[in-house]
Amino acid sequence: MSVQNLEISRSSASGILSSGNVTGLRTLPAVSKYIDTSTCIGCKACEVACQEWNDLQVVPTAQTGTYQTMPTLDPSFWNLIRFDEHEVEGGLMWLMRKDQCMHCAEPGCLEACPAPGAIVQYANGIVDVNPEQCIGCGYCATGCPFDVPKFHAATGKMAKCTLCVDRVSVGLEPACIKACPTGCLHFGTKDDMVALGNARVEQLKKNGFASAGLYNPPGVGGTGVVTVLAHADHPEWYGGLPRDPHVPLGVKFWKNIARPLGLLAIGAAIFGAFGHYFNFGKKEVRGAADAETNLPSA
Amino acid sequence: MSATPTPLRDRAMDAAVIAGRDRENILVGNEIIRHRLSSRLIHWSVAVTFFVSLFTGLPIWTPVFAWMAPLFGGLQVCRWLHPWAGVAFMLAVGAMFFAWLDEMIMTSEEKSWIGPKLFEYLRYQSDDSEVGKYNGGQKIFFYTSALGALGLLVTGIVMWFPLSFSEIVRELAIILHDVTFVLFTISIVFHIYLGTAAEPGTFGSMTRGTVTRAWAKLHHPKWYKDVTASGK
Repeated sequence: MSVQNLEISRSSASGILSSGNVTGLRTLPAVSKYIDTSTCIGCKACEVACQEWNDLQVVPTAQTGTYQTMPTLDPSFWNLIRFDEHEVEGGLMWLMRKDQCMHCAEPGCLEACPAPGAIVQYANGIVDVNPEQCIGCGYCATGCPFDVPKFHAATGKMAKCTLCVDRVSVGLEPACIKACPTGCLHFGTKDDMVALGNARVEQLKKNGFASAGLYNPPGVGGTGVVTVLAHADHPEWYGGLPRDPHVPLGVKFWKNIARPLGLLAIGAAIFGAFGHYFNFGKKEVRGAADAETNLPSA
Repeated sequence: MSATPTPLRDRAMDAAVIAGRDRENILVGNEIIRHRLSSRLIHWSVAVTFFVSLFTGLPIWTPVFAWMAPLFGGLQVCRWLHPWAGVAFMLAVGAMFFAWLDEMIMTSEEKSWIGPKLFEYLRYQSDDSEVGKYNGGQKIFFYTSALGALGLLVTGIVMWFPLSFSEIVRELAIILHDVTFVLFTISIVFHIYLGTAAEPGTFGSMTRGTVTRAWAKLHHPKWYKDVTASGK
């Protein structure tokens, strides 16, 4: 993983700070997926392409009363179109959103991970799990505000979308993007994808979707997946997209406050024991070896 | 059985050790049996399982202790071993709790150890004349250890099977596990310090099982009175 096009910029549990130490000589432009939910037709070509390219095993589908393939992402199913129906003012909205790892600029999974190098962020912003280092503790699932990393029972490792880092590193676009027939998916630099998204949002607004917007939540530093929503005032309508995702406060408090204070406290206790000894010495009867004749006068 | 066993042929029998196999709180020669064999075994079961739990947990806690993981075969092994060591620790603490509970009932005077009394004791200025087999601090340590072990187990189970619990429960469990373990470790640091360097003669009560008369009279005068009154 030391080749230039896979240069790692951040690595879990390998710095004093929970966000990992920043490594790497180069800064590459961040890459991003672009998802336009307003032109998604729910054909699931991206789901199939993901399974094919990543050579994932067949996961049994589960009927949830919609066209959705299964209720949530799975360790062997990294790309899921979420189908939602909403009734508003007598009309019906049938919403579809491509759900997968959001490749956050400030990934909660990486912050929570205790295994050095098990979660890495490449210089181009892609967040990846390194199974060789992963210990399967599931902390990343606790750290993720999008409920993305899943535990793969057979391997004992966590698994999620890699943003097809193997394809991207040799100049190809991710498999899901390649398969999309409507052009609702694009791939490029983050700047280009944000520009594309903003243009589409303007178009939607002109067409009567006043609350259209681009989902690129600042709480996690922005995401490596920008999503055009016709109803950006209600992101939760799109398969429970969180309104203001951020790394859970519990994880931040634990890693950045409780842990350093705990380290200090244990160190202080050891230091304190030595200090006590130097200050007070030991508590014993002088000449205690001769117990019978030299008992304390208690 | 008398306090002085019959010598077996020409072998010199260690009377105190023999008596300490199943009896305690008795005077044998010039020594007092403080902890019988079963008590000592329980204590060291707690200690060993504690340290295995600690040393497999620390490298998962922070990369500052990453160097400990190879001692057990790596971080993967730690992730597997830590919860089982924790279960063993809880079992050992449970055994200790019920074995020693009778001797740990606290008097109202001993409850005052939660406070300035503890610091008087640490300054070697406390009046220990009414101290029995265990002083107030030891009893408080006993109860907080049991409570801490229980807290570590409950939060540990959540962290063992994180995907079976909700997000908020997992976050709380991680923080409580962290805080409890830090407090527990601090109390163990002082436990070890008081039991070795600070109060010479104490460590032998957990190995050989015995203490000297002078030790007993200095640290636990009331217990010393009881033991010598019944032993003679």
